[in-house]
Order: sequence, then structure tokens, then C-alpha cells
Amino acid sequence: MEKNLSFSEAKKDDMTALKVTNLSKTYRESAGDVHALGPVSFEMEAGEFLCFLGPTGCGKTTLLRTIAGLEQPDTGEVIVQSPHYSGEPIIGYVFQQGALFPWMSIFANLEFPLKAKKIAQDTRRKKVESMLDMMGLASFASSYPHQLSGGMQQRAALARSLVMEPDLLLMDEPFSSLDMRTSQELQDNLRELLKRSSTTVLFVTHNIEEAVYLAGEVIVLGHRPGRIVRSETIDLPDPRSRLSDTFTEYLVSLRETFESLVSD
Amino acid sequence: MSLVRVALGFSLAALIGIPVGLLMGASYHARKFLSLMVEMARPLSAIALLPLSIIIFKARTFSQLLGLEYLRYQKNLLNEMQLGMIFILFWGGVFPIILGTIQGVRSVRKMHLEAAGILGANRLFSFRHVIIPSALPDIFHGLKLGIGRCWMVIIAAEMLPGTNSGIGYLIRYSYQLSRYDIMLASIVIVAFIGALFSKGLESLGEKSLVLRSKER
Ligand SMILES: Nc1ncnc2c1ncn2[C@@H]1O[C@H](COP(=O)(O)OP(=O)(O)OP(=O)(O)O)[C@@H](O)[C@H]1O
Ligand SMILES: [Mg+2]
Repeated sequence: MEKNLSFSEAKKDDMTALKVTNLSKTYRESAGDVHALGPVSFEMEAGEFLCFLGPTGCGKTTLLRTIAGLEQPDTGEVIVQSPHYSGEPIIGYVFQQGALFPWMSIFANLEFPLKAKKIAQDTRRKKVESMLDMMGLASFASSYPHQLSGGMQQRAALARSLVMEPDLLLMDEPFSSLDMRTSQELQDNLRELLKRSSTTVLFVTHNIEEAVYLAGEVIVLGHRPGRIVRSETIDLPDPRSRLSDTFTEYLVSLRETFESLVSD
Repeated sequence: MSLVRVALGFSLAALIGIPVGLLMGASYHARKFLSLMVEMARPLSAIALLPLSIIIFKARTFSQLLGLEYLRYQKNLLNEMQLGMIFILFWGGVFPIILGTIQGVRSVRKMHLEAAGILGANRLFSFRHVIIPSALPDIFHGLKLGIGRCWMVIIAAEMLPGTNSGIGYLIRYSYQLSRYDIMLASIVIVAFIGALFSKGLESLGEKSLVLRSKER
């Protein structure tokens, strides 16, 4: 990429990775309109990990899909920008489950985004192999998705999103279909991986503990149509412990907010 | 002889049916435009078209089509490939193939297409690496139905006057000569080959999931 000095300097101060303003979405159905989301506004800085926490059906998936451009919003706008260079920012998306291509091996699944971007074969191979190594998937390279456990499949899906080095990674309850142990293991992996990258992550979940364990900031959404109810910075030391007192305090406090949602 | 005819007619049906089906499956406009034609043409049984196709194509054979007139009075493979017969084989085989392919393309999971888009695939890349592999099992199902039809049609067509080769001809001829043993044997062979075709395509279809992903 050609360097444009004034441009990159101008960008240097601006660490905004995502800016969402007044975003709302209504699904028009024959049975009647469903106002699914918003309006919501928030901003994210590059490298931040933000988690949206909300009850079922409050529009979490809708929020991510709209940001990813899979749905058109009714009002508001979404600006995604890459702080490092000009040009189109790369967005990654991890679906709740089952988005791996079943007719491709794990290797081929990871290679897909690189191939779509016309990256040369040996570069592709190297990137995929190192990603597989990092995710502990090396021995599954030539397996097919259906031969993997649910946890391994989500791990592979995560690897496929990370291999294209996204500026913004959107994650839609990627671990909620897994049992608690596997899910916690993957949460650990995710934290580990993110330490080594500058990826900005927007994660949605209805699991309070997951949110507190992963996020730098948690935003609670109310019942449908989801609006921001509370926003909380999670200030915990780095190897986070699910058993520490401060962790539990956050948990209890957020649970109170959560519970008060149901009652009204 | 029957086998060669079927091979020719069926290949033609696959060669045209699959692209037409892909187009109809992928494009709303193509589907609107072509489905009326397909729906009108489909119920016309290939056998009902046999006399018509003989009128249209006369008794022309491939040797004439290819300008190899001098072969006409020799015993030659091309001479036995009556255009009319190939045409009705094509007709019999093409519709199940088109419908199977459309079905396949339409059954692609929306999530897979969305994932491909987010992963940076353009339309062509998605078509090649997501839609076609997803559709493959249905395409094979269409091919299986198609070849079954072709096989039915060819036997019937060969029984009609104007043919002097092929297993259908053999059945009719042995019947006329009261050689019921040969007739029965031929029928068994017909059934056997038909089943072989269909099983063969079925196993190819089952392999298709795996085969697809081996390519890199
Ligand atoms: N394509 C659609 N058409 C119509 N309504 C939809 C559509 N997608 C979602 N909805 C409705 O919009 C609301 C919000 O859905 P959404 O999937 O965003 O919720 P969610 O917070 O992700 O829920 P969950 O926790 O169950 O995943 C729901 O009531 C849902 O029924
Ligand atoms: Mg959801």
C-alpha cells in the first residue's frame, strides 16, 4: 500500500474503530412490523473489546448484522474505519454456529478468505498453517467440519475469521452452544489470541459471566427493541479470575441490572 | 449401440441442463423467463415427440451432420446415431437435470452465502466455491433421474420401426421371431444396466461432498 504521510498522520490521533449513531432496525413482516433494535449510539476505539449483553430477542444479532452490512438499518449510520491505513477496513464475523463450509476441509475453510483475496498460494499456506498451530487445530487440518466436536468447530470458525486479520471482529454468541467447560476454554484462547493482535472486538452474549470475563467494557441492552440501559467499564487485572471478589462484584451488579429488565 | 446413443443424448442433456439450471437457480430474471418454457415443455413426453422428431430430423444421422456422407452406406457408428433419437434422449433427460440443479442452487444455506460475502468472496467466487458445491448432491440426483429417463426412452424408441440396432430393437425383433428366451434376457439386461447407471450416479453424488473439498 502506498504511504500517504499527511493522511496517516491525520489518522494517528483518530483511534476510532467503529462509530454507531442512532442505529435502529425494524423488520417488515407480513404479520406486522417487528421493531428489533434501537436506536443505539456508541463508539469503539481501536483495540477495544466491547461486549453487548442482553436478553434473548433484544436485537443483538440484528445489531451485528447491521454493522456487518447484512441488514439495512432504518435510521442511523455505521462507520467502520481502520486506524492503520486507509482503504476498506476488514470485518470478521463469527456466527453462533454452523457457518463453516461442510464440503471443505478445515484447511480449505481457513484458506477461503485468503483465496478470495487472491493471496498467493505459499503465503496462504503459511498463514493457514500458523493459524492452525496457534489454535491447536493442526491435527484437524484435513478433517471436515462434521468430524469435529462443537467446540473445535467454533474454534475453526474463529480461526477462519482471524486469518484475514480483521480490523473489526464481530462475534455473535460464538460459544453459547457449547458446554460450560469448552466455552470457558475458548474464552481463555480468545483472550490469549487477542493479546497478540490489535483487533477491535464487538462481542454479543446473554451470558453475564462471559461478558465480564472477556470485555473491557460491557453495554447492557434492554428488552426488544434493544436500547442501551447501562454501560460499565470492566476494570480487572490481566489474568482474570472468575473467582476473584471484584469479578463477583461485577457479576452481581450486572445481574441486578439484568433482573430489573425482566420485571418491567 | 443403445449405450452409445444414451451416452450421447445424456451428455448433451447434462451439458445443457446443468448450466441452464444454474442460471435459473441463481438469477431471478432467468428463472421468471425460462420457467414458463420449461413448464410448458416438460410434460411433453419424449416418446410422444418421437414421430415429430423424425419428421423434423428425417432419418438424419451424425454422419450426415458432420458432412461424412460417404459413410452413409457403410456400417459405421456415426451412421447409427439418428439425430431424432438423440434429440428425444436429450428431451427425456434434460428436465430432471434442470429441475435438480435449480433445486440445488436454491437450497444453498443463506448463512453460508453471507459468511462467504463477509470473508471477502465476490459473486463469482461464491458461485464457484459455495453455490456449486452446495448444489452438487441435488445435481447428481437430477442426473440420476435423467439417465433413468434416457434409458427408458431409448428402449422405447428403438422398438419403433426405422431402427435396426440397439437393445430395444433386439427385444422387438426377438419377439417377432418368437425367441422369448432372447427377449427375456434382453429385458433383464435392460433392467440391470438401468440400475447400474442409477447406482453409479448415486455413489458419485455421495462422494461429491468429499470430492469437492479435495480440490484446492
Ligand atoms: N429476518 C427477520 N425477520 C423478522 N423478524 C426478525 C428477523 N430477524 C430477527 N427478527 C426479530 O427481531 C427480534 C430481534 O432478533 P435478534 O435475532 O436480533 O435477537 P437476539 O438478541 O440476537 O436474540 P438471541 O439471543 O435469541 O440470539 C426478534 O424478536 C426476532 O424475532
Ligand atoms: Mg442472536
